Amino acid sequence: MKVVIIGASFAGVAAALETRKRHPKAKIVLLEKQTTLAYIPNGLHLYWRNEIADLNEARFITEEQLEESRIDYYLEANVKKINTSQKIITYHYFGKYEMIAYDKLIIAAGSKQLSEKIKGSAQESVLKYKRYEEAEAALLKVKASERITIIGGGQVGIEAADLLSTQKKKVTMIESMDYIMFKYLDEDMIQPIQRKMIDRGIDLKLGKTVSTIDAVSDHEVNVHFADDSVTSESVIMSVNVRPHLPFLDTHIAQHTDQTIAVDRYLRTSIKDVFAVGDCIQLSGPDNDQVYIPLINNAVRTGIVAAANLNEPELEFKGSLRTIGTNVFGYYVASTGMTEGESLFSNHKVKTTRQKIKLTSLQNANTVTVKWIYDAETHVLLGAQMISTVNILEKINTLALAIETRQTIEDLQQKDYFFHPSYTQMIATTNLVSWMGERVDGDEG
Amino acid sequence: MKAEDFLEKNEVREMTILSQLISHHGSISYNDMLDHLSVSKASLENDLESIKSWTATSNQCIAIHYDGQTINLKLGDEMSLLQIYRRYLDQSVKTKIITFLFKYQKFTITQLAQKLAISESSLFRKIKELNNYLKEFNIKIRNGRFDGEELQIRYFYFQFYYYIEDKRKLLSQFTSNQLTQTIQSLENYLKVTISSENKQKLRIWLIISKMRITIKKLQTDYLRNQMQPYLKDPLYHKIQVMVFRYFSRYSIEVDEGEAMLHFAYLLAFSILSENDFHEYRLLRDRHAPIASLDTYIAETIIIHFNYRRLPYMLEREMYYHLTHMHTLLYFFRGDIEYYDETVFIQEKQPVGKTLNPFAEKLLETSTWKFDNQMERQKSLLTILLSKYLSLLVFITSKMTKVLQVGIDLKLDDLYKETLSELLISKIRPLNGVHSERYVSHKKYDLILTNETQHDSDQYNEARVYVLSKILSSYDMRNIQRILQELNT
Ligand SMILES: Cc1cc2nc3c(=O)[nH]c(=O)nc-3n(C[C@H](O)[C@H](O)[C@H](O)COP(=O)(O)OP(=O)(O)OC[C@H]3O[C@@H](n4cnc5c(N)ncnc54)[C@H](O)[C@@H]3O)c2cc1C
Repeated sequence: MKVVIIGASFAGVAAALETRKRHPKAKIVLLEKQTTLAYIPNGLHLYWRNEIADLNEARFITEEQLEESRIDYYLEANVKKINTSQKIITYHYFGKYEMIAYDKLIIAAGSKQLSEKIKGSAQESVLKYKRYEEAEAALLKVKASERITIIGGGQVGIEAADLLSTQKKKVTMIESMDYIMFKYLDEDMIQPIQRKMIDRGIDLKLGKTVSTIDAVSDHEVNVHFADDSVTSESVIMSVNVRPHLPFLDTHIAQHTDQTIAVDRYLRTSIKDVFAVGDCIQLSGPDNDQVYIPLINNAVRTGIVAAANLNEPELEFKGSLRTIGTNVFGYYVASTGMTEGESLFSNHKVKTTRQKIKLTSLQNANTVTVKWIYDAETHVLLGAQMISTVNILEKINTLALAIETRQTIEDLQQKDYFFHPSYTQMIATTNLVSWMGERVDGDEG
Repeated sequence: MKAEDFLEKNEVREMTILSQLISHHGSISYNDMLDHLSVSKASLENDLESIKSWTATSNQCIAIHYDGQTINLKLGDEMSLLQIYRRYLDQSVKTKIITFLFKYQKFTITQLAQKLAISESSLFRKIKELNNYLKEFNIKIRNGRFDGEELQIRYFYFQFYYYIEDKRKLLSQFTSNQLTQTIQSLENYLKVTISSENKQKLRIWLIISKMRITIKKLQTDYLRNQMQPYLKDPLYHKIQVMVFRYFSRYSIEVDEGEAMLHFAYLLAFSILSENDFHEYRLLRDRHAPIASLDTYIAETIIIHFNYRRLPYMLEREMYYHLTHMHTLLYFFRGDIEYYDETVFIQEKQPVGKTLNPFAEKLLETSTWKFDNQMERQKSLLTILLSKYLSLLVFITSKMTKVLQVGIDLKLDDLYKETLSELLISKIRPLNGVHSERYVSHKKYDLILTNETQHDSDQYNEARVYVLSKILSSYDMRNIQRILQELNT
């Protein structure tokens, strides 16, 4: 069996490794258009955080590891066409067109940071840094800039704002919605971070959508939004990513949003063709089909597709959109449905927000937790946390609780360890009305 | 434009023949038909031939017979003129061009000519004709795609699918849980309840939006300009938040333009219930163009009829309708005329006739107030005129007190009985009038009698009209006039 995989990033590599595990004899070929392998998309942030000394260290797998697993990979191999009737792929490789036949094809071509609405967003001074070369260029450009405009207040944009303002850059952040990180957090949870941003001198423009970017001189650009504009030396695009799949043949069905349509086994509309990672929609927190471009989804879909190459064996369980990060001195994490998003769902939800001490000690730090659960059944649907200390791992407990459909009451019965230096009477992930200081919310 | 503009000349004639037959109880002489159509006999024969050929395959639902003297039509119980109209529209090449464009967003001449099985040159001609009609929408088909403001394109499609193409076909192709869920979310977000009829309108609009959403360069310059006074509008803000949140769940990029499109649509097509609209009206900026025109027109109406003020609920309802009309006028251009309601109100209803000049004045005022150098198009104005008119009819009939008419004929008993009854039945169709045989000492607004009275106090305050000739149309006209005077 010959398995060809387009794209050697998280999804493609995970699919390749899992295929090897399941099919020791298969021939596995990864085609990747980049010049380097397995760059971690927020490598630049790791560098700015001083967690790596060189962007090159931001790799999630090495060439040796692939070779050990007998996976063939071709860098700078740009796939141009796929022909699903003849099972042949055409790719551009060092100035020539090459063809390769497949028995099974996995499309893991991911996504790009691109905007079709913002005029002028393709110019050089507008930085994107998902890919290694882009990150290298962005690093230099940012170094030379004093004022930086960030478009998009999602996780990537806020991390960048934090890191750049630490470097004493003058940062303007523009976000379409009324508050930042709206996909993961509700407005009531994000307030401390927004306040901190303003304290740190970040010019926060909320509810504004950028329309145009134009260069005013060799080193200055104007970013226009509504009836206002801001001038800076560089602009960072941290808007939503989108699949870019010009090579698909017309037989492969796509959704309106250009993602490839797949079933629960990640099979496309064409036999023996699978799609994974950032180029598909997934079943989201409410079991509806949504687009959630995250690394954990890329990896997990890669594994599931590999498991279904011959027979549909493993269903993809869906995504809770679990995230965690540290920005502006706060650790924030989120999983499952937010209250804001619940309006798109059939569930009538209740929410509670509590401030909870993390240990039994006098001067214990606190975490604010928000629970979102079904008003009738009390099944947990979503959770958010924010604290000045690292509570990130705790979100995984709640993610597991959501996945296994635990109710608020079930959670109280869960076994947990007690140690006064690390815990208090009740585990933080429990909603118990008498423990925390109720900040707000419905009756629990 | 008119719905029949989608048809060819001969198809329009065929429609006219069928509609004439229906209004003449299914039978009409050649001569009358020829007079009506002002065509030659040969050409009538051609049209009849053509009708016969398609009706022959219509499962007996409709059958036509003609013998050179008379034409006869038989319709099955389930068949209506509207259905016949639909069938003509369905077959029309122009309709097919639009549905193709809708489905694929773009076409090449070769591809479409092949698909429609017509020559490229006649396809060109059809497109040219279509573009001529589309002028009033300020859009055109160019290089195989629609060119123009996005709001106008979606608006045209909406009119097209609502009035021309069978909307059930569209809905059945697309109806999905996702659409239902989206409408449910909209209700949740805006905290409103949308009626099932409006949900259907909204579905059509959302399907159109869904088809258009991924087009790369949507033109929204005019819309953005018109939206300037509304950027802080509470309803717009909610829609904007919802639009951004909704599309953040897909890999679809949107900007404010998308939210603006939905804002204009929701307000102009009365998607909100009166109750929900009222909540919005309390919050909106009264100085923004639409709201201030609403107030201006409302006051003009109240002053015109000398009303001190309208009952609370009636006033709310008036504002509800005015906002829709004015939103339409403020954002949109062009219209597809489909219903003949204007004619109905103007010609069949005596009230309509007298209110028409005032409705025209209102329309003149509002187009003048919104003057934006853009030439307004006739069809939209026609529709608006008819809307003003029906609003006026609605308000006046709500405000009309029931006038009491007493009939006091001085005649022999038998004649008196009969003629009184005949008079009563003639007056009955008039709105807001109650007539009866005169009962002494009862209070009346108008007395109809055939003899000049001698005792001036006999009828108290009531106005008296002496019939010049009982049951004459001359009298009837005068009675109507007096009743209207009494009412204002
Ligand atoms: C700045 C930034 C930071 C991020 N940080 C995080 C984070 O901290 N945590 C998280 O969960 N997610 C993060 N994300 C999201 C994350 O990057 C994606 O979800 C993830 O990379 C998806 O993996 P993938 O393998 O599906 O696709 P991609 O990583 O997009 O990889 C697709 C690969 O396919 C290749 N390819 C595309 N077209 C062709 C072609 N025609 N021929 C050959 N090869 C092709 C591309 O070159 C690319 O290497 C971040 C995104 C950005 C932009």
